Parts: sequence; C-alpha cells; structure tokens
Amino acid sequence: MNSRDKTPNFFIREIPFIVLLVFWVIYAGIEIIRSRLDILASIIPTGLFIIAYVVVRLAAKEQKGRG
Amino acid sequence: MDLFLALELIALALSGLLIWHSARTRGAAFTCMFFIGGAFLGLVRENVVAQIAALNLYSYNPATFHLWVGAAPLILMVFWSYTIYLALTFSEVIAAGNLISGRRRVWVILLAMLFMASYACLNEAFSSIYPMVLWKFKPALTIWGGTPAMVLWGYAGMALIFLPALLVIFKLRIRTIYRVMIFCASVIVMIPLHLLWIAIFRLVTSAIG
Repeated sequence: MNSRDKTPNFFIREIPFIVLLVFWVIYAGIEIIRSRLDILASIIPTGLFIIAYVVVRLAAKEQKGRG
Repeated sequence: MDLFLALELIALALSGLLIWHSARTRGAAFTCMFFIGGAFLGLVRENVVAQIAALNLYSYNPATFHLWVGAAPLILMVFWSYTIYLALTFSEVIAAGNLISGRRRVWVILLAMLFMASYACLNEAFSSIYPMVLWKFKPALTIWGGTPAMVLWGYAGMALIFLPALLVIFKLRIRTIYRVMIFCASVIVMIPLHLLWIAIFRLVTSAIG
C-alpha cells in the first residue's frame, strides 16, 4: 500500500507547523536571553503566519464539526 | 557544546522531519525532487556567491559555522528547501490551495513569497547576534539588526523561481530519476535568475539612496 493512501495522523500532518514553532521560539528566546530587544520585532511577521495557520486549521475543524 | 552548533544540528534534524512529512503527504517523487534539488541549489548557489568576488555580495563567517561544504556551510544543503517547504505548506493551508493540482496556485506562490520575506526578517535579524555572513558592500536600505532589505527581496525571489521550476519539471511525464536530475541541472538557470532578481533590487535602492 502506498504511504499516501492513509490519512496522516495529527502529528505527521502538523510537522511543518511544529518545526516553524520550535525555531520561532528558539530565535525569540535567544534574543530575549541576549537582551536584544531591538531586534525582537523581527519575529512578528512569521508570528502572523503562525496565527493565520492556527486560525485556518481551527476554522476548518469547526466547519467539519458542523458538517 | 557551542550554541550555534546546536542550532545547526537542530535545523538538520528538523529538516529530516520535513522530509518525512513530504514523503508521507506528497509522495516520494515530489520529495526527492524538492529536497535533492534544494540541496543542490543551496550548495552550488552559496559556493558561487561566496567564491565569485565580482558578485560583491557576501561570504560566510568561519567564526560562526562549524560544518562546511567548500565555501558554503553544510546547513545550506537543507536551508533553502527547509524554508521553501515551510513557505509552501503554510501557504497551501492558509490559501486553501495546492501548487501541484493548480487550486489557487498563484495565491499559493504569492503567499509563499511573503512567507519567505517574513522568514528572512526572523533569520537575518538573528544574524546580528551570530554573524552568519560577512557583507562585501554597504547596503542602501537596512532592517532590524542591520540586515540589508535586499535579503527579504532575495528570499521572496527564491520562492518565485524555485516553485514554478519545480512544478514544470514535476509535471513532465518521465521517470522520477530523470525529473530529479533535470531539476538539479536547472540550478544553472535558477541561480543566474536569482542573482538577477537581487541585482534589480540593489540597482533600484542604490539609485534611490
């Protein structure tokens, strides 16, 4: 059976989200630890993508629940 | 262990997770093309940029990186495919589109470009803590931490060049091995296109500045 025949579970499906979140937290954490608050705002653009992704996923889940 | 070495190893491990995700959700042919082509692009492009003085861009900082392939850090083997894969996946979810099937393809590519520019903000501002590159010129426009604004444009351009090239070659009705080989060979076209994309921005901003 092809590995794509099965719907991937939650963990596999969300790997890209987890990967970005891990790196985002590491970058933000190091900038805070190193007191580089002058560059901390650089995490905002990717932060907005993370929020948009979560909103879309939750909306899809809610729609599926209603359906 | 040096913190930056730990970050390099974490990035390699997380890239492995992305390859697994791609193999499970997009199939072996797509995954081989994307990640082998991305590795080839990363290593060739960064060696070209670091070693050809006439380009007058940057070289990599030997004091920061630990693992090397020629004049490029080993992490560049996964860096472009890692970031473009995140850009593609996030864009497909947010735009409810699909690059390969064609659903909202233009939106997926535009959103991927925006994601790449956003990731550039994150990554390049961070490089003012760990200087990753040694710039050979004084940029006309900078953002957080002194990062040249040109870099954001450059990241976005990479998605604009990489994704359509991948799509066109993926759609060829030939064996996977040939598609991978053609995609790897296409770096001969992708690298000059990307350098041209950057040169346009540099010309415009230096004229304004």
